[in-house]
Amino acid sequence: MAIGTDIDPAGTAVARKRGPGTSLFAKAWRTADFKIGFAIVLGLLLLSVIGPYLLNLSPTQFNVSKKFLEPGLLDGANMPYLFGTDQLGRDLFSRSLIGLRNALFIGVVSVIGMFIVGSAIGMIAGYVGGWVGLVLMRLTDAQMSIPVVILAITILGVTRPTPLTIILVFILAGWPAYARVARSVTLSERRREYVRAAKILGASDLRILLVHIAPNILPPIAFVAVLDVAKMMIFEAALGFIGIGVQPPTPTFGTIIADGTKYLMNAWWITTVPGLLLALSLCGINFMGGALERSRNKILQGVE
Amino acid sequence: MLFALDFFMRRIAQGLIIVLLVALLIFTLLRVVPGDPVRIMLGPMVSPSVAEQTAKEMGLRDPVLVQFGRYVGQIAQGDFGRSFVRSAQGASTGGTRAADTFNAANRASVIGLIATAVPYSLLLAGLAFVFALALAVPIGIYAGLRSGKWPDRFALYLSSIFVSLPNIWLALVLIFLVSAKAGWLPAIGYKGFSYAILPAIVLAVELAPVFIRSIAVSVSGNLMEAYVSVGQIRGLSRSRMIVFHVFRNSLIPLLNTLGIQAVGVLLGSLFLIEYVFNFPGVGLLMINAVFQRDFPIIQAISILACVVLVVVNILVDFAATTIDRRLQY
Repeated sequence: MAIGTDIDPAGTAVARKRGPGTSLFAKAWRTADFKIGFAIVLGLLLLSVIGPYLLNLSPTQFNVSKKFLEPGLLDGANMPYLFGTDQLGRDLFSRSLIGLRNALFIGVVSVIGMFIVGSAIGMIAGYVGGWVGLVLMRLTDAQMSIPVVILAITILGVTRPTPLTIILVFILAGWPAYARVARSVTLSERRREYVRAAKILGASDLRILLVHIAPNILPPIAFVAVLDVAKMMIFEAALGFIGIGVQPPTPTFGTIIADGTKYLMNAWWITTVPGLLLALSLCGINFMGGALERSRNKILQGVE
Repeated sequence: MLFALDFFMRRIAQGLIIVLLVALLIFTLLRVVPGDPVRIMLGPMVSPSVAEQTAKEMGLRDPVLVQFGRYVGQIAQGDFGRSFVRSAQGASTGGTRAADTFNAANRASVIGLIATAVPYSLLLAGLAFVFALALAVPIGIYAGLRSGKWPDRFALYLSSIFVSLPNIWLALVLIFLVSAKAGWLPAIGYKGFSYAILPAIVLAVELAPVFIRSIAVSVSGNLMEAYVSVGQIRGLSRSRMIVFHVFRNSLIPLLNTLGIQAVGVLLGSLFLIEYVFNFPGVGLLMINAVFQRDFPIIQAISILACVVLVVVNILVDFAATTIDRRLQY
């Protein structure tokens, strides 16, 4: 699964073709923060793909004789259960890794979805203008006034939550920010000479939008997208905690943490240790996002 | 004054449309998903004919738009209906009672339920704001004044780490360490002011990075403006310029973050955190209502939350235009 790698290389691939994008990612890459964040995320991603096979422990197999084992990291006798086991004797380490994989998958896919939906709406609003643009942007403003978490809880609470519905709800929640940026980029690019030249040469509106304008949207919003992946992962865990996230037996951080709360006093590690792994991966993602943001600000201010 | 009147008229009209659309969305959503509210009200043991009769009497078999029209009419008169499952005595019946008739009069009124819950939520939200600002204002201002130096970097890393802490996990770790192990603060439920401190800390950790960033960026941006050096040339001391002019001008973006972003973040996380801490606010009421399919409560709280967001948006925009008249609406 090459999910997490989508975060950056997808960006660099676009960047190679264009000026602003190249310098943005190159500049971000030169900072230590970005490299540290990237290393953390890449490392955890590799671990989540190969880890379960290395230890040969199943994330869903019960083993009642081995329940409530303390983390092997603290008590060597409990190896190979690095993070210990839960109330049913399931290995927490492999459960956490599968949870991380699911969280990353949901986070990345929903952010890509928000990006596509938001960009499409924003580009149309900016390019077509007129009353279409007005209606679309009013819609965007209105969405900002909708209590999204309430909507998400309601939708997922009264229907049967699946990864797909969760991703759709996240997309519904997050697209307006992208639409706003896409619109302002389109408005400024539309008047540029190269767009007029393309038009005179006979390029269709669709081609102008997709080939010429679309690549300009990524640089100003790349950092928001990266930070949003982390936000969505937290949100996914919270939904799982309430019980309206991805349903068992698939392990997610939310369900692992919720299971552990019942045993918080005698088996503290069930809740805390997997959460630490989640926090670590979020830290990696946020470092990357922060580095991207500062590089963008430097480029905007014309420093260097 | 004409400006203010025009502004409010326009924005309130827009806001009403938004609230109405959100209400319609939630209303329709609740009625198209599987699950018959009559079954929830009367319990599983009731005979189909009685259930059908009750549904007809309550108008639950009418087209959704007709039901919605009636609902809006009731709201206009200030009537948000009664809970499907909560009895007027406060206990939740959960739909398990074998009562054969549904008597709306013995169910709690939605307005009453929300009115009891709102003060708790306001207390929690207010406390979270106070904690977040107490942490963010000094750090943010210091980082802004020393932009690029170590205070700036410290603020940055602190924010990054705070943002990376999943709120539910942080809540449970704090419950475990502060409440269960050390016994310093109570955590579950609400029996006094001290019960609000831990959940407020969790919310403050989530809010603080938003504040730190906007304060730091705003202060450092204002320091670079020409008026700072002009003021100093005219003989005002640097500290005077900072305290009386830079901070004042830095307020505008802070108001903006306080308003839109912070209330947005808070409205979401408050619900989750109340659920984790079993804190008897609007969020807990809402999440329980979702599980019990208590439609009137879900609808009323969604509308309430939407109204809050719309009002905050309007007020923030108004405050911003009054402080800085260059910003038109």
